[in-house]
Amino acid sequence: MTAVRTALVTGAASGLGALAARRLAAAGWDVVAVDLDTGGLAETARRSPNTHVRVCDVGDAEAVNALVAGVGPVHRVVHAAAIGPLVPALEQPLEDVENVLRTDFLGTVHVVRATMPGMLERGGGELVLFSSLASLLPVPKTSAYAAAKAAVNVYAEALAAEHAGSGVVIRCVCPRQVDTPGFRAAAADDPAATGRMRGVPPGLVLDAVDRSLARPARDLYVFPDPLTRVVALARRWAPGTVRRLVGQVTSSR
Amino acid sequence: MPAPPGAHPIQGDRVVLPVEIRDAAVASAMFPVPAAAAQAVIAYSGLEVVRPLPGRAVCSLAFVRYADGDLGPYHEFAVAFLVRPPDGPPDSPPDGPPRKVGAFIHWLPVNQAFTLEAGRTIWGFPKEMADIRMDLASRTKRCLVRVDGRTALELHVRPGVPVPSGRGAPSVDAYSCMDGVTRRTPWTLSPGGVRMRPGGALLKLGDHPVAHELRGLGLDRTRALSVSTVDRLRMTFQEAAEVRT
Repeated sequence: MTAVRTALVTGAASGLGALAARRLAAAGWDVVAVDLDTGGLAETARRSPNTHVRVCDVGDAEAVNALVAGVGPVHRVVHAAAIGPLVPALEQPLEDVENVLRTDFLGTVHVVRATMPGMLERGGGELVLFSSLASLLPVPKTSAYAAAKAAVNVYAEALAAEHAGSGVVIRCVCPRQVDTPGFRAAAADDPAATGRMRGVPPGLVLDAVDRSLARPARDLYVFPDPLTRVVALARRWAPGTVRRLVGQVTSSR
Repeated sequence: MPAPPGAHPIQGDRVVLPVEIRDAAVASAMFPVPAAAAQAVIAYSGLEVVRPLPGRAVCSLAFVRYADGDLGPYHEFAVAFLVRPPDGPPDSPPDGPPRKVGAFIHWLPVNQAFTLEAGRTIWGFPKEMADIRMDLASRTKRCLVRVDGRTALELHVRPGVPVPSGRGAPSVDAYSCMDGVTRRTPWTLSPGGVRMRPGGALLKLGDHPVAHELRGLGLDRTRALSVSTVDRLRMTFQEAAEVRT
């Protein structure tokens, strides 16, 4: 038998994180499933003896350090924990903005700082960091979330540049809307803000991540589906057209 | 507290039937095999292989990733033969349609202990512990089964073309035979994201008693009838009933 590998999955109580944790558990990984939602975590770990649940706020650096110290070597990180309230920029309480930045951006920093040194020491590992297409294409009511995810992108780019050739593979995954419980709730609440789009199935996003891990390490960004790829390209080469289109689909009438 | 009817104690937990699988992904291949040799392989069950063409039976190989279901997350590989429903009671309801072709599960390695115990005790499925690696994200789906550190077999399934999943949930009977007892398990499947093509399988057989049996059927030299992949499969498994053969 090959040695058991350990994966740390954040945001593992629902959506992308939960599915990532289950697929890794199915594949025989030891999975450390992290979230704040104990009920959701228990559901993810149900009848999975190789899934271990940990309640932890990724926005709390000390808690993340303590968690990772107790886990032992982590071979893959799937960092999916994030929050994304839909609020107009000037109406969003500052505390709320800080909270989004702490969870979405600093959460990523905390997880990377706790796990990457061990990977560098061992000369290998995989860091899958979830960003969002919103980081390249901010739309109304996503200012704090998009800003935090854009920060994740540049942080991942700098990190990848600093550690090129180290054996640690970094992926910055930028999906468009993903069909998760969180997205469904947001879309039901505010169809205009989510562009009246149907989310892409989470399994498809994770398939794209799996395929990306087989590509050369320098291939940092993962745009999981064709529509996401087209929008990301169009945003670069035809920003005016994209702005007009986004304005149309996100207008409330 | 006594277990309610249809509840089975497994590893300190209770599995209640029907067992539901909410999210699985599958790749499979069907091979034509010599009927007499196939019949000899499954003779222990008392069942009879279906012969869709004279002298030919059908052997089906499949690999499944269970992501969300009542038996937890795990990988599975299945070796099955299409069989005739056995005659005699308990069998077709007198006014119902005749029972359809069934799938006799000959070998069913899995990689997790919970499903291993549940499968063997609840339905008599021939589950065995194995190391099962899968790539279901690429266009060609791949699976490698290793038992006790030795390769048993490796199956590659090439991409097909999308086909309609059909309405409703087709129901099949799964047959198993453990410790001399043959059982029938009613089984429903609702697939989504189905692709098929003729041929399209590559099978490498290694060193395992079942691999030797499949080699004896000429499976490593036979072109598959067809292959299929299912992105999202929901299934239910009912209580097994003993069949007299």
